[in-house]
Amino acid sequence: MDSVKSDIKLTDDIFERVGIDEEYSEHLDKPSITYWADVWRRFKENKLAIFGLVLLIVVIGTIFLGPTIAGKDYQYIDASIKDQKPSAEHWFGTDDMGRDIFTRVCYGGRVSILIGLLCTVVMFFIGSILGAIAGLKGGWVDNLIMRIVEIIGNLPYLVIVIILTIVMGRSIFSLVFAMSITSWVGTTRMVRGQILQLKEQDYIEAATALGASTGRIIMRHLIPNTLGIIMVDITMSIPGFIFGEAFLSYVGLGVRPPQTSWGALASAGQQKLMFYPHELFFPCLMIVLTTLSFHLIGDGLSDALDPKLRK
Amino acid sequence: MSKFIFKRIFYALITLFIITTITFFLIAGAPGDPIAAKVEQMPEAAREVIRTKYGLDKPIFQRYKIYMKDLITTGNFGESIIYTGKSVNDIIKENAMISAKIGIIALALQLTIGVLLGLISAFNREKIGDNIIRVLVVLAICIPGFVFAALLQYFLAFKWKLVPVFGWGELKHYILPVLAYTIGGIASYTKYMRSSTLSVIGEDYILTAKSKGCKRKRIVKKHILRNSIIPIITMTGPAIAGIFGGSFIIERIFSIPGLGRYYVDAVSNNDYTMVLGLTIFFAILYVISLLVVDILYGFADPRIRVTDSEA
Amino acid sequence: MNSKKILGVKNLRVSFKTYAGVVQAVRGVDFYLEKGETLAIVGESGCGKTVTVKTIMGLLPKEQSIVSGEGVEVNFHNKNLLNLSENEMAEIRGNHISMIFQDPMTSLNPTMKIGNQIAESIVIHENKSEEEAKKIALNILELVNIPNAKERINQYPFELSGGMRQRIMIGIALACDPEILIADEPTTALDVTIQAQIMDLIKKLQDKKNTGVILVTHDLGVVASVADRIQVMYAGEVVERGTTNEIFYSPKHPYTFGLLESIPKLSDHKQKELYSLVGTPPDLTNPPKGCPFAARCKYAMKICRVKHPEITSFGETQESSCWLHHEKADLSGVSEILLKRGVSSAEFK
Repeated sequence: MDSVKSDIKLTDDIFERVGIDEEYSEHLDKPSITYWADVWRRFKENKLAIFGLVLLIVVIGTIFLGPTIAGKDYQYIDASIKDQKPSAEHWFGTDDMGRDIFTRVCYGGRVSILIGLLCTVVMFFIGSILGAIAGLKGGWVDNLIMRIVEIIGNLPYLVIVIILTIVMGRSIFSLVFAMSITSWVGTTRMVRGQILQLKEQDYIEAATALGASTGRIIMRHLIPNTLGIIMVDITMSIPGFIFGEAFLSYVGLGVRPPQTSWGALASAGQQKLMFYPHELFFPCLMIVLTTLSFHLIGDGLSDALDPKLRK
Repeated sequence: MSKFIFKRIFYALITLFIITTITFFLIAGAPGDPIAAKVEQMPEAAREVIRTKYGLDKPIFQRYKIYMKDLITTGNFGESIIYTGKSVNDIIKENAMISAKIGIIALALQLTIGVLLGLISAFNREKIGDNIIRVLVVLAICIPGFVFAALLQYFLAFKWKLVPVFGWGELKHYILPVLAYTIGGIASYTKYMRSSTLSVIGEDYILTAKSKGCKRKRIVKKHILRNSIIPIITMTGPAIAGIFGGSFIIERIFSIPGLGRYYVDAVSNNDYTMVLGLTIFFAILYVISLLVVDILYGFADPRIRVTDSEA
Repeated sequence: MNSKKILGVKNLRVSFKTYAGVVQAVRGVDFYLEKGETLAIVGESGCGKTVTVKTIMGLLPKEQSIVSGEGVEVNFHNKNLLNLSENEMAEIRGNHISMIFQDPMTSLNPTMKIGNQIAESIVIHENKSEEEAKKIALNILELVNIPNAKERINQYPFELSGGMRQRIMIGIALACDPEILIADEPTTALDVTIQAQIMDLIKKLQDKKNTGVILVTHDLGVVASVADRIQVMYAGEVVERGTTNEIFYSPKHPYTFGLLESIPKLSDHKQKELYSLVGTPPDLTNPPKGCPFAARCKYAMKICRVKHPEITSFGETQESSCWLHHEKADLSGVSEILLKRGVSSAEFK
């Protein structure tokens, strides 16, 4: 303020009334950027999160295009080339039946990721609906749902999954059923909590007062507002289910041959660790890369959604 | 407080009852005849004798009643089909301690190291130490437990010969399994302790403590630690579940004669009575540990204790 | 320095590093506080009032904030608080200068008994044992009108209402008889009925112990009955200051008019719409070079947009920085508001 003193002469006309700066107020009235654009902008600034996104695209690209490029069949057995080390012909080597591990890892990845996605979808479908009902209806409905949640939440998850897969037989369907039936309670708790918090807020009260139906409130207000936190949870859940599948395959409850998965491949590789470590290494590498990419994306997303946490 | 504990015990009992019942009926309805698999060559008459011995000739509800009565009055978990003459109780008696020892050592290490690293990370936020810890944590979370186990076995035991590959009984045999168990747990405790501590540091009451004239050391000791450790206590429940899961795999990889290995063997051998008995045993352990964690949580956080007992 | 002056702030400038750039939150603030008096700092949220008092307490996060300014000083008994180490500041905080915060629901440690929270500052500053400090804490609870003090002392914050928690906060702040109490929006989060009780309590204890109070608020209504002097802040600057009478009955700055006009008055019988200021304060990452209020000011002139106004004094106690005080200023329309408050336009320049 001191520096400008000299250039401005205090003539009469400079004291002419101009009033409120309309341009300035209008400029402020414009919505700057929408919430989601802002989230995307913050996400883009996060190098690790972008790295995770690229990594995920690379992994998925490899899984779907890999077999075509390599030109191999994942079931083709050739006893003359069993347990070979990685080479130009077999990028990840071959297994004890002479099958191309690269191609098998790609096919296995499709199954693993499919299981991860399906479980997450089922879990969120059941979890959010029950959570929303509990949160919105309250009273005895809420009480009932939360008691069920409490009891299921107290079940030893793995043991239940094992029992269910024994009873239902080994298939993708039974794996998905067993893993998602025990995991929805977390989502229910989260969605219910979010809804109870949102319910306190004025705009929901206003919507209720205006006669909006429960369904409409869910579609128009609650889902958009809980979407962020749900998205973070989704990105973190998928790797959890991929792990779960790997674990069950390891215990011998995974998918049935000739189908395969990363867990099944790793389990097979484990037996021959001492002599052919590459047979364990490659499926594990894919599991680790996939999990890593989901974690980085999830972390970036939660930072982007809640900039307060970063500061 | 006593009302709070009473309520929790009541829920635990209901949960146990439900688990036992569901497990019993699920396994009773599982496909495949366990007896048939075991005694294929025997004449039909001999099979009938065995059937009667295991009570399989009676209708399912009667079998359930007998099993439950036996379980509650004498604590009898049933008898193995495969290991003739061995009861599930014998197997628990002989092998549970081995699993428990590894599990308890691992959990104690996870908690102390995880909480410490989490604190170091939080108090050095965005500095070099924090960044190193965070990268290691993400990597450790993304690597499945059996991969760790395999890596440790391959390098420490097989390549560098620092510890024995297999075997059980001496102290040196504990090193690999405990390490394999602990790493993933440390990572998740560190992650949660960091974020919990950071959110406590940002609370208004820390500012109050500072404006009272508390010095850094006192703020950490009296105001940050207790509040940031409370959410960690709730994590201990799922962590105990993780130890069961871990034991299934790690005992198998390192050939440790613990309960987890018997369980996995029973699953793959269709030893249904054994699966049933061990499942119920695991469930009881799990529910008791959740109960203890819940009560501990009540002691640590006055809010839970009072509001719950008043409700 | 006047012996009654216990605190003097000179040319205080505070900036924050954020993702959007450097925010100049406080831009050259001067003021003083005398023993036993109440100074109110008034302004909209984001005008820098909280940052100003947090700087005095040394409570700003060191990594992101920069305290600068030519000859910047925060003098407390001839000691520049800005030069003290963290440990030396800890000796002052809670002992000589205390602070209470806006939200009593989050300002108390949820897992510590309230008795211990009050006793803590006594243990720290007065070399007392926990036992003795607890006894003093009991007296303090009675002093801040907590019923059943003997029981309450062993309760946790969540068992108390918002009003009671704010009393506890006041108790904590006054436990060591500080010379200065900084109250940052102490009643904003409370019910209207409780607000007056809390202000009365602060006033009563202040009179008893002759404490100097800095009251930070956005609500001129709260200030009227308790403040001796008022300082109006806008966009990180002091735009007007004066005694409470001067500010209420002879305001000089258009922003102060705006604040005064937005207080509802019982005397307005007609159903009049409450006055509200248009727009929001300027972006402080890039503050305007002229008067910061110019964009929202009905009486703004060309010069207001290009050149910062200088300070004009009115008597010994009142100051305002506005171009309307210049002899060439166009006062048409201004007098109407002022006349309503019983001031002639001649007094304005």
